[in-house]
This record gives sequence, C-alpha cells and structure tokens, in this order.
Amino acid sequence: MTLPSPEILLQLSINGALGGAMYGVAAVGLSLIFGTMRLIFLAQGAMIILAAYLVRALFQHLGIDPFLSLIIMVPVGLAAGWLIYQGLFRKAAAEEDRNISLLIAVGVMFLVQNLMTVIWGGNTAAVVTSYTASGIELLGVRASFTRSMGFLIALAGTALVVLFLRRTLVGKAVRAASEDMTAATLMGISPHKVNAIAFAIGIALAGAAGVAVATTFPFNPFAGFIFSLKALVALALGGIGNVAGALAGGIILGLIEAYVQFFISGGWTNAIAYGVFLAVLMFKPEGLFSRPYKKA
Amino acid sequence: MANRLLEVTDLEVAYGDVRALWGVSIHVDAGSVVAIVGANGAGKTTLLKAISGLVPAKRGEIKLSGTSLLGRAPEDIARMGIAHVPEGRGLFRQMTVLENLELGAFQPKARANMKHALEKAYDLFPRLKERTGQKAGSLSGGEQQMLAIARATMSEPSLLILDEPSIGLSPLVVQQMFQLIEALHKQGVTILLVEQNIHQALKIADYAFVLKTGELAMQGTGAELIADPEVQKAYMGVLEL
Ligand SMILES: Nc1ncnc2c1ncn2[C@@H]1O[C@H](COP(=O)(O)OP(=O)(O)O)[C@@H](O)[C@H]1O
Ligand SMILES: [Mg+2]
Repeated sequence: MTLPSPEILLQLSINGALGGAMYGVAAVGLSLIFGTMRLIFLAQGAMIILAAYLVRALFQHLGIDPFLSLIIMVPVGLAAGWLIYQGLFRKAAAEEDRNISLLIAVGVMFLVQNLMTVIWGGNTAAVVTSYTASGIELLGVRASFTRSMGFLIALAGTALVVLFLRRTLVGKAVRAASEDMTAATLMGISPHKVNAIAFAIGIALAGAAGVAVATTFPFNPFAGFIFSLKALVALALGGIGNVAGALAGGIILGLIEAYVQFFISGGWTNAIAYGVFLAVLMFKPEGLFSRPYKKA
Repeated sequence: MANRLLEVTDLEVAYGDVRALWGVSIHVDAGSVVAIVGANGAGKTTLLKAISGLVPAKRGEIKLSGTSLLGRAPEDIARMGIAHVPEGRGLFRQMTVLENLELGAFQPKARANMKHALEKAYDLFPRLKERTGQKAGSLSGGEQQMLAIARATMSEPSLLILDEPSIGLSPLVVQQMFQLIEALHKQGVTILLVEQNIHQALKIADYAFVLKTGELAMQGTGAELIADPEVQKAYMGVLEL
C-alpha cells in the first residue's frame, strides 16, 4: 500500500476536524447537563436535528440566511432548555431519580423524532444556499465554506461556555454544583437553578449546532440518535466534566472517522468509533486530557 | 434572657427505619460558642444536617431567631444566615482557593459585600492568600480546613456550624484551628461546634451538650462539663489518647 500524498492527508484531516467539531458541540451540551444532573441527555441529537429543521424552515419560508438564524436559534434554545427542565425534569431531579430522568430523556427523543416525521416527513432534507458548494483556502487546501463556518460556530460556542463557567459567579456555581451538589446547596446555590441553566445552555448549543448541521449535512428525523451516540463518544474521549475537552473529543472522533473511511472503508467507521469509545472507558475512563485533582 | 439565636426542640430524625435522634433539644445564644460532643455515631452530624436542611426532621422544631426552618431547602436555610462546614469539608477541589471563597459569598445578600469579606478572610487566613490561585484539592489538610471555614465566613453568617474541624489534622494544626475559632468568636461570630476533641472543645465553649446514642445525656457550661467526673470518665479518657 502506498502512502497518500501529504495534500490528501491534510484534506482528510481538515474535513475530519471540521465535521468532528459538530459532535463536539453536541458533546459540550451533554457535558454541561451531565455535570449538574448526572443525566445523559440522549435527546440532544434529536434537538440538534430539530434545530436543523427549524433553520431550514426559516430559510425556506422567511428567506432568513441559515447563519443569520443563529441570532434566533440561540435565544430560542436558551428559553426552550429552561422550559424543558422546569416542565419535564424538575420533579425527577428534586427526587434525585436518575432512572426516571433518563426515561424522560428517551421519551423526549422519540417524541421529537416522531413530531419531525409528522411535520416534515421521513425523507432526507438539506439546506442549499448560493454558497453551499463554495470553498475556502485553508493551509493550502480547499475546505468547504459551510464546514468551516460550522467549525467556527463550534469553537465560538464552546469558548463562550468556557468563559461563562470560568469568569462569572453563576458559571462558577454551575461548576461547583457539578463537583458537589450538596456542598453547593450549603453555599445557597439552588440545584434547580443550576440544572435549568445547564439545560438552557445545552439546548442553546443544540440550536447553534442545528445551524451548522443544516448547512453542511443532509439530515433526516432519525439522524439524531446516532448524533447523540457520537456525542457520547466525544464526551468520553474528552473526559466527562471537561467542557473544552468535549469539543476536542469531537474533533478527535471526526479525525478518526475520516481516516478510517479513507484507509479502511466507510462501513467500519461506526464500529471503530464505538471500539475507541469502549477502549477509552476501559483504559482511560477520566478521558484523554485528565488533569490532577479530579474528583476521586 | 439571652438572645436565643437557634432553638431545637424535641428533634427526631431517622434514616429509613433507623432512628438517629430521639427527641433532642439544644439552643444557641447569639454571640456564643456552643459545643456538641459525644462518641462516634451519637448523632452529632445528623443534628447539624437537620439544622441546615440536609436531612428532614421527623418530629420536633428547629427555629432560627424565631423562624421555623422545618421543610426548607438547604439553599434557603443557607440564605437565612446559617453557614455549615460539613464533615469532609465539602470543598470544590477542582476550583481555586479564590473561587471557593467567592462561592462562599454566592448569596445575593453577601455578593455585594464580597470584596470586603475577602479582605477579612485573607487577613485571618494569610496562608490562603498565598495560595489564592491554587486548586483547593492541592492544599494540605490543615489549609483545606482553613479554606472551608474561611469560605463559610464569606457570607457573614449569623450562625457558623463546624462539624469536626480538627479531624485528621496534626496536633499543631489542631491548636491553630482552635485559636482561629476563638478569633472568630471574638469577632462576634456565633459558632455551633461538633468535636471529637472533647477537652479542647469544652475549653472554648460557653455552653455544651453531650449526645449519647441519639439522646441528650448532659448539658452545661464548658467549665462545668470539664469538671464533671462522669464526662471525664466517659469521654476524656478515651479521647485524650
Ligand atoms: N446516611 C445514613 N443512612 C443511615 N444511617 C445513617 C446515615 N448517617 C448516619 N447514620 C446513622 O445515624 C447514627 C448517627 O450518625 P452520625 O450523626 O453520623 O453520628 P456522629 O456524627 O455523632 O458520629 C449512626 O448510627 C449512623 O450509623
Ligand atoms: Mg459525625
């Protein structure tokens, strides 16, 4: 077997990294929600696809540019996340019943999936704009414009979340609650408030990811579940509770998928992605970037 | 009559079928240091947790300045002015010393005063100032306990609850710990202190209660209990190893 040219390797890496960033934003949302609630919000992928459909609807019916619709999707996501927590999860969270919370998340996933099928049909959808096929020059190779934008959205979204968590007192309260909820309540921090904030930001990120997905990939109502699983893999790679690591985990997963697809075959990408997931959980369950003084 | 800050009456607490407290009554006057002593498993931690809302009361009453605390969430009780340093300290180990202190002033009332409270805390605990950017989990045991106490003072609480602050510390650091508690007392902080270190605790306490298997066995001023032959026989011998 001959080694491919450096240009092809670079092209592969750029494509993989840009695509993987989308798993990354999904994983950042999962990470936040898992942090305070110890809940794997399996419906995150479905929320992203729902957002993608909404972006398409805004584009088709109101002519709003998909990237411009970010300024609608993010605030709507914040509000929706807050409402989803207060309406669906608050009671189970108050009783600290994680099994019920997980079942509700699965229920939300199926509900959203079916709603999307009823409203938009089960066929594959896409958003095609004047710039969909255009590319930009990146490190001397051509990269898709929309994928590059998606990457920027992922980067900016994650950076904003990290800034919020590190720089604001409320963000610090979310981190504190993720580390030790009981100790946090003794500081006067309300578990329901931090849970609702985590949900609001998580769903706002789903809204942003929806923009990225709508502009780069064809999607259908059932794509959400695989998306959630990939996000979970990214989360494990990055280390549960490490928000920036979740984005990095997504990018790594995207790279792995791109290489596997090129060097082995497309049929193997999922098998190998889940294989990596299991290997990480078995040999480095604290993630690839674990730092000292993690909670024991 | 002295100013009753905390009044616990006939408190019963159970974990499922296991009763941990059987009708316990204690009180804390404003400005005093009150100690709760007793053997392991006597129910001291349970009593503190019931006060700060971490475990529900089965029967009885808990009042802070005349207002009932029963049925309130721990975060609400914290906002009413009780700062509880729990067993195991409850530090946010992955966060810095400064972040831990800031979170101590999370409540809206305390937030406005954060800068001043921070200065005060660093004055009292200069070691923490040197370590301000370090992760709490990287501090020594003594420094961690100081941080936990300093964090609790950030909200300028009306009642400071300490659950075995001297546990796991070297004798020298234990001395410093008790000096600190006295310093806080002098500043006017009201303190409810649980200790295994009974002799030390009774020495600094204005008043003390002895718990025995979930019931109140004795009470009196610190000096009275230190002098009590029964207390000496039952607790001091065992604990002054
Ligand atoms: N979470 C719990 N579940 C069941 N029993 C408990 C729990 N916590 C404490 N207990 C029991 O309650 C009693 C009092 O415990 P505790 O309040 O921790 O005592 P102390 O602080 O005086 O050592 C003990 O018998 C203990 O085993
Ligand atoms: Mg105890």
